[in-house]
Amino acid sequence: MTTVEAPPRSRTARPPKPRPGPTRYVAAAVIAAITYWAASETTGIGLVPQLSEVFVDGLSERTGQIVSDIFNPAFEDAPATGGPFLETLSMAVLGTLMGCFLALLVAFGSSLVTAGGLKRYRFTKGLMSLLRSVPDVLWALLFVAAIGTGALSGVLALVLFNIGVVAKLLSETIDAVDTKALEAADAAGAGLVQRARVAVFPQVLPNYLSFSLYAFELNVRASAILGIVGAGGIGVLLNLARNQFRYDRVSLIVVEIFVFVFLTELVSIALRRRLVR
Amino acid sequence: MTVTTTPATRSTGERRPTKPRFVLGPVLLGVVVVAAAWAWGTAEIDLARLLRAPERLVRTFGLMFLPPDLAEFPRSFPAMMESVQMAWLGTVLAAVLSLPLSLLAAVNVSGRFGSGATRQVLNAIRAFPELVLVILIVTIFGLGPVTGTLALGLHSIGTLGKLSSESVEAIDKGPLEAVDAVGGTWLQKMRWGVLPQAMPEIMAFWLYRFEVNIRASAVLGVVGAGGIGALLVDYLNYKEFARAGMAFIVVVGVTLVVDTISSAVRRRIIAGAPGRTDEPDEVEDVGTDALA
Repeated sequence: MTTVEAPPRSRTARPPKPRPGPTRYVAAAVIAAITYWAASETTGIGLVPQLSEVFVDGLSERTGQIVSDIFNPAFEDAPATGGPFLETLSMAVLGTLMGCFLALLVAFGSSLVTAGGLKRYRFTKGLMSLLRSVPDVLWALLFVAAIGTGALSGVLALVLFNIGVVAKLLSETIDAVDTKALEAADAAGAGLVQRARVAVFPQVLPNYLSFSLYAFELNVRASAILGIVGAGGIGVLLNLARNQFRYDRVSLIVVEIFVFVFLTELVSIALRRRLVR
Repeated sequence: MTVTTTPATRSTGERRPTKPRFVLGPVLLGVVVVAAAWAWGTAEIDLARLLRAPERLVRTFGLMFLPPDLAEFPRSFPAMMESVQMAWLGTVLAAVLSLPLSLLAAVNVSGRFGSGATRQVLNAIRAFPELVLVILIVTIFGLGPVTGTLALGLHSIGTLGKLSSESVEAIDKGPLEAVDAVGGTWLQKMRWGVLPQAMPEIMAFWLYRFEVNIRASAVLGVVGAGGIGALLVDYLNYKEFARAGMAFIVVVGVTLVVDTISSAVRRRIIAGAPGRTDEPDEVEDVGTDALA
C-alpha cells in the first residue's frame, strides 16, 4: 500500500450548505396553527381530552362487553350474508361497467387533444371536478332520497363516482398520447370521432382497462358500505346489526368485507400489472 | 401470427403493414357481457325504475337547489368546518405514523423480510373502509368527531404508507452509499440519505390525502362520527330538501376551495421555489471543482 498524502485543505472547497429560507419556518408555524385550531377544545374537536379519557379511565363495562363481542364474530350467521354479498358484488360490477363506459366518453371531452374546442374542454373539465368533489356515499344518499332505497341507488352512485375517477385519470393519459398517429388521422381527413377512435383509443386502451380495474377495486370497497345509507348490498345488514347492537354480527360482516376487498384487490392488482407492462 | 405469403405485387413492392389484431378483444367482450348479465339479474334492477330515475332526480334537485335554504348556512358551515378539522387531524396523525412505516416498507432501505411484512400490514389497514372503521371505533370513543378523526387517520396510514414507501423506493442510492461510507447508523441513513430525497413527494402525498379525507369526513357523520354528514342525512331523511341543498353546496364549495389551495401548495412543493431552479447546477459545479 502506498500512502496517500492528504490533499491540502484549502483546495477542497466544501460545497456550501444550502441555507433554508424562511419558508420552512412559516410552513411549520402554519401547520402548527391549523393543528391547534382543529384539535383545541374551544375552536376544534377537543381531541386530547377525549383520547385521554379513554386511555386513562379505561373502558366502561358496557363498552368492554361490546369490544368482546367484536372479537367473537358470529360465524354461525355467515350463510345468511351470502345473498347480500352477491348483491354487493353485482352492484360493483354494474357500477364499474356503466361508469367506465361513460367515463370513456367524458375523458375524450376533457382532454385538449380530443375535445375539439376550448369551450367544450373547459365545460367537461369543470363538470368533472364538480363530480369528484362529491363523495360516493353522498351520491348514494342523494339517490336514496330521490329514487328510494335499493341496489339501483347504489349503482347510480357508483356510476357517478366512477366517471369522476376514471375520466380524470384517462384524460391525463390522453393528454400524453403520441401525436404522430393524430397527425396521420388529421392528414387523412378524419373527423373528431374517427380521430379519437383510430388515433387515440388504441393507444390508451391498456391504461383504460387498468384504470377500470382500479375503479372496480374502489367500487367493491364502496359498494360494501353504501348499504349503510340504504343503497343495497351487505351494508344494509351491517347497519341492521349495528342498530340491534349485535356487535358479534357487525364483526362477522366486517371480517367478510375485509376478506372480500382484500381478495378482489389481489386479483385486480395482478391483472393490472400484466396490462400495463 | 403467420406472415402472409401472398406477394405484394403492387408496383413499388411496398406492403401495407398488417393490421394488428387485438386477440383478447372478443374474450374481454364476452367476460363483460356475461358479468353484466349476471349482475343485472342479481341486483334485481327494475328497468322501469331506472327509466324513471332521471325525472325523479331532476325533481329532487329542483327541490334542493331552486332555491337552497340560505338560512341554513350558519348551521352547515360550522358543521363542515368540523369535517375539515377531522380531515386535517386525521391526516396529521396518519402522516406522523406512516412515515416510519413507509421506511420499513421500502425494500431498498429495509430488509426484504421487513418490507414484505410491513407492506402486508399496510394492505390490511387499507382494506377497511373508513365507515367500517367508524362503526368499530365508535364503540370505544363514542359518537363525535374524535371517532371520525381516528378512523380517517387509521385508514390514511394504510394509503400514505404505501404511497410514501413507493417514493422511498424510487430514490437515488448514491447518498445512501455516502452515509454508509462515513459510517452512519441506520437512522442517520434515513435522515440524511432518504428523507432529503423523498420528502417533497411524501409531503405532496400528505396534502393529497388531506384532500381525499375532506371528502371522506363529509360523510362520516352518517354513522355518527361528527361533521356535516349527520346534518345531511337528517335533512334528506326528513325530506328537508332545501336545507339539504344548502348543506350540499357548503360541502362542495369548501371541498373545491381546499382542493385549490392544497394543489397549489403541492405544485410548489414538487417544483421548488420560483427562481431557485438553477441551484442544483451550482452545487454540481462546486462538486466537480472539488474533485479536480
